[in-house]
Amino acid sequence: MNDSIETIWKEGFLHEKSLVAPSVNDLYNRKSIHLVDRIKRRFQVNLVMIVVMVVLLPVICYFMQVIWQGVAAAILLLLTAWYNKRQIDGIKSLDQGATSFEYLRSFDRWLRDVLARSVKVARFSYPLYFLIAVSTGWSAWNRQGGGDMPLIAGIIVAAATLAVFYFSDKIYRWDVRLMYGRVFNKLERTIAEMETLKQG
Amino acid sequence: MSNDFYRTSILPYAAVIIKICRAYTASQEDFEDYYQEVCLQIWRSRANFRGQCSWSTWVYRVALNVCLTLLRRKKSKGHTYFSSDALPDVVTVENGAFADEQLNQLYVAVRHLSEVDRALILLYLEEKSYGEIAEVLGTNVNNIGVRINRIKERLKKIINERFN
Repeated sequence: MNDSIETIWKEGFLHEKSLVAPSVNDLYNRKSIHLVDRIKRRFQVNLVMIVVMVVLLPVICYFMQVIWQGVAAAILLLLTAWYNKRQIDGIKSLDQGATSFEYLRSFDRWLRDVLARSVKVARFSYPLYFLIAVSTGWSAWNRQGGGDMPLIAGIIVAAATLAVFYFSDKIYRWDVRLMYGRVFNKLERTIAEMETLKQG
Repeated sequence: MSNDFYRTSILPYAAVIIKICRAYTASQEDFEDYYQEVCLQIWRSRANFRGQCSWSTWVYRVALNVCLTLLRRKKSKGHTYFSSDALPDVVTVENGAFADEQLNQLYVAVRHLSEVDRALILLYLEEKSYGEIAEVLGTNVNNIGVRINRIKERLKKIINERFN
């Protein structure tokens, strides 16, 4: 190496043509793909977790001597997994050839649509999960010689089930935020930013 | 981002951004990603610029921060090819990101440095004063000279070992 580092740098860049700035028109293209892929991966992980629970729950419940509750919960989870799988398959219908902005917007619309439908499902599945949980507790109470369920307990359970039914919308949204909150926020921010960029 | 903002506030500093991004990336694809992200971050953070330093210092700072963040994110995802032992020299030397062969070699050597040392030497080569370097990197001005000399020695050694 004959030249000093400073000379190499200075003279190297003197006639350098590769210092032309790359295009920034397609700024969000890969970003959008990464974001959607991330959400899809989360959905898949969630699906796998549900399937694992479907297998594990009856086994755990068998040892806890509440096998029927375990089977009921597993069936309910299986239905949830089947429903979720069908929803995820809907992503394929989105136009991948669209611009990244349009693609993200259609993904966002699809997501909102799925959430709106899932809220309706949760309205019935959440009270059922709650009743299975209560039934598990009641079985344990019975085994310890607790006897019949007192009327007041029955009324409380009924009221709580109604409350779960009534608030299922909020519980579901809270549940979704807990699991996907960060990535959904990122999606919202990215779309908002792209809109601002487009307005220039 | 408006064309005006890009033309007046980013494009005059494009060469600097390119030089920095090249030092932190080993492929053309990554380089373009980093460049775009830097431009976007400058646009995003324009409201935070209070004029306490020059706009060029601000651009340097944003560019370095973005490159370091992206590099760390990449490392944490398991892309370990940025480690000093396993750099893909071919990308810059054989394929030639730059027309000047010695410059390509220098870039390969720069990529063997630690992330902060890369930033330091880039600023030095861009003829920034020690005060400005310290300001951009948020470090003390005192030992910058000593550190630069050490980095230069290291760069020479790497280039001699690898290319001579």
